[in-house]
Amino acid sequence: MQPRTNHAFEAEHPISRPLAVAPLPDPSVPSDLDLMRGIQAEDPEALSQLYDRYNGILKALILRVVHNEAEADDLLQEIFMEIWNQAQNFSAQKGKPLGWMVTLARRRAIDGLRKKQAYARAEERLQVQTEQQPDAWVHNTTEEEIALGDTRVLLRNVIRRLPIAQQEAVELAFFRGMSQREIAANTNTPLGTVKTRLELGLKKIYDGLKELKDEL
Amino acid sequence: MSFEEFQNNARLYVIGALESDELTEFENARKEFGQKGEDYIGECYALHEAFALSLQPAKASAAIKDRLMTMVRERKNS
Repeated sequence: MQPRTNHAFEAEHPISRPLAVAPLPDPSVPSDLDLMRGIQAEDPEALSQLYDRYNGILKALILRVVHNEAEADDLLQEIFMEIWNQAQNFSAQKGKPLGWMVTLARRRAIDGLRKKQAYARAEERLQVQTEQQPDAWVHNTTEEEIALGDTRVLLRNVIRRLPIAQQEAVELAFFRGMSQREIAANTNTPLGTVKTRLELGLKKIYDGLKELKDEL
Repeated sequence: MSFEEFQNNARLYVIGALESDELTEFENARKEFGQKGEDYIGECYALHEAFALSLQPAKASAAIKDRLMTMVRERKNS
């Protein structure tokens, strides 16, 4: 198997400007870290700016977990409130603000999903329901219609280049919070196979990320 | 556990996909690998960002921000 190269990537997904030239940060625009420090100092304007910057990404993540617009909006509000309340727990030494916010949002969304599933299981005693299957990344075909940044497009491509079985395993683990055993039961797949798919899928995404970081 | 196995498990760990028996083994290896292991785990959290950034941003209801900012200002003034 040929190793994934940047040249192959660009040939398959041509882009209009060179990746090697990252835009210089505008000094008048506060960085994510500046905004987190503002929130830690209890400045509502900092939260307002962070919200404007990331509400779309966090809402997309939550929506991918709960699959319901109204619930996603409610969770988004709760998560930004938690960002405000828990800001003192953020440490720049441990990672970037976006990573911290995504971790927090994912955990909250999965908690919300589990509560909903527990309620649904109770309802199942009265009526038969069919479990909604998560949409795999591979089923999203609207990429061409959406103007995304280069980084976002490349990240999406890294994930979409995984074999479907690996995408599904990673999707169920990350967006549904399922354990390997739960994935195995949910997909009728041997546990060892699930582990292998997850390991391979995550390694490829991790390696793809490193490649992107080097490039950008 | 070799460091390569630790790396595989670290990627599963950050997304919460390790089974309980694997988690115990992983925590033992984490102690064994010390700072090198912690640094690697820290790097793996970038996976969270990658998953989020790979999604098409979704539009939130306009009322959400108003409600949020009202709550924040009330909390700050209380």
